[in-house]
Amino acid sequence: MPLTIPKSILLTPKVPSLLVVGLLAAQFLIFQVADSPEPNCTLNIERPHYSTSLNEDQNIDAIKLNITSMCNVPQKYTELTADIQKIQNNREISAYSFENKRKNSTIKTPNVVTFKDLFAPCKKGSSTSYRGIAQGYVYLESGKKVTVKGDSGKYVATGCLIGAQ
Amino acid sequence: MSYFEQCLTSGGLLFQEERRALYSYLLEINRDFYANQAQLLLETGMAIRIIANGEATYILKDGKVSYSARKLNSDDVQSEIREIKLTRVKPLNIKRLRKFFAQCDVDVITNYPLLGPIPSEESGYGINTYPYYTLAYYANGKNYLKGLFVKIKTSDKEILTKLRTL
Repeated sequence: MPLTIPKSILLTPKVPSLLVVGLLAAQFLIFQVADSPEPNCTLNIERPHYSTSLNEDQNIDAIKLNITSMCNVPQKYTELTADIQKIQNNREISAYSFENKRKNSTIKTPNVVTFKDLFAPCKKGSSTSYRGIAQGYVYLESGKKVTVKGDSGKYVATGCLIGAQ
Repeated sequence: MSYFEQCLTSGGLLFQEERRALYSYLLEINRDFYANQAQLLLETGMAIRIIANGEATYILKDGKVSYSARKLNSDDVQSEIREIKLTRVKPLNIKRLRKFFAQCDVDVITNYPLLGPIPSEESGYGINTYPYYTLAYYANGKNYLKGLFVKIKTSDKEILTKLRTL
């Protein structure tokens, strides 16, 4: 007598395999999004200082403002407007406004953009206190745009006067 | 060394007033050259320009001209840095392209200067966001009426004279 083995109920799929693949893919995507950090960018504005290198190399008097925008994710570029402020007659006024600048990140440092070409011509002599301010946007590789803003903190005296040429 | 040659080696160390004057100067001395370059670009869809230590490639596509740049002998290309929309009027396009080329030349000079005594600092490709030939430049992208006033008040005559004579 031939032996018949009954087809196990367990072998028959109750849920369509396509749906299973879809659910797995959805789960993967959800975890991917949860793992990527929330984009966060900060602006580090150094105190405006007299550029000794420009004076030594080219005999030019200038106040330099260094700015760095740093993110926790890769950025395409940073776009910002910067100003050097000074105190005059107990009032805070703009000593020099820089044109709106855009700078790309590099392959070596995709999360960071450094602005090191912000120079304001000045005349050596009288001591003046300055601080730097800047605001703008960071355009991330993901397509998002993050607003950034900051200043260099306290006013610091420098022996070179902007706007006295 | 002339003041213009100094500008070609100073690059990113130039003051913004010097860059703006350099734009006007390039526009002035390269009037015919830019017109020919524009003609070539409109006919062939592509033009290449070498200035200072960099190379700019202009591409015409879908009524727009964009440019990419790279340092000479380097493979690191900065693509589609700026673009300009063209019209259907050819003489107007040539006029617009002249200004565009002068602006892009300033971009390339400041990012890829000629080798000089002062080594340039390694950083990303940087540009003035709004081109010199727009009111947006003078208004920092905000109030164009204010930009018009600023433009009228702005004078780079002294640096321009220096560029022409020294």
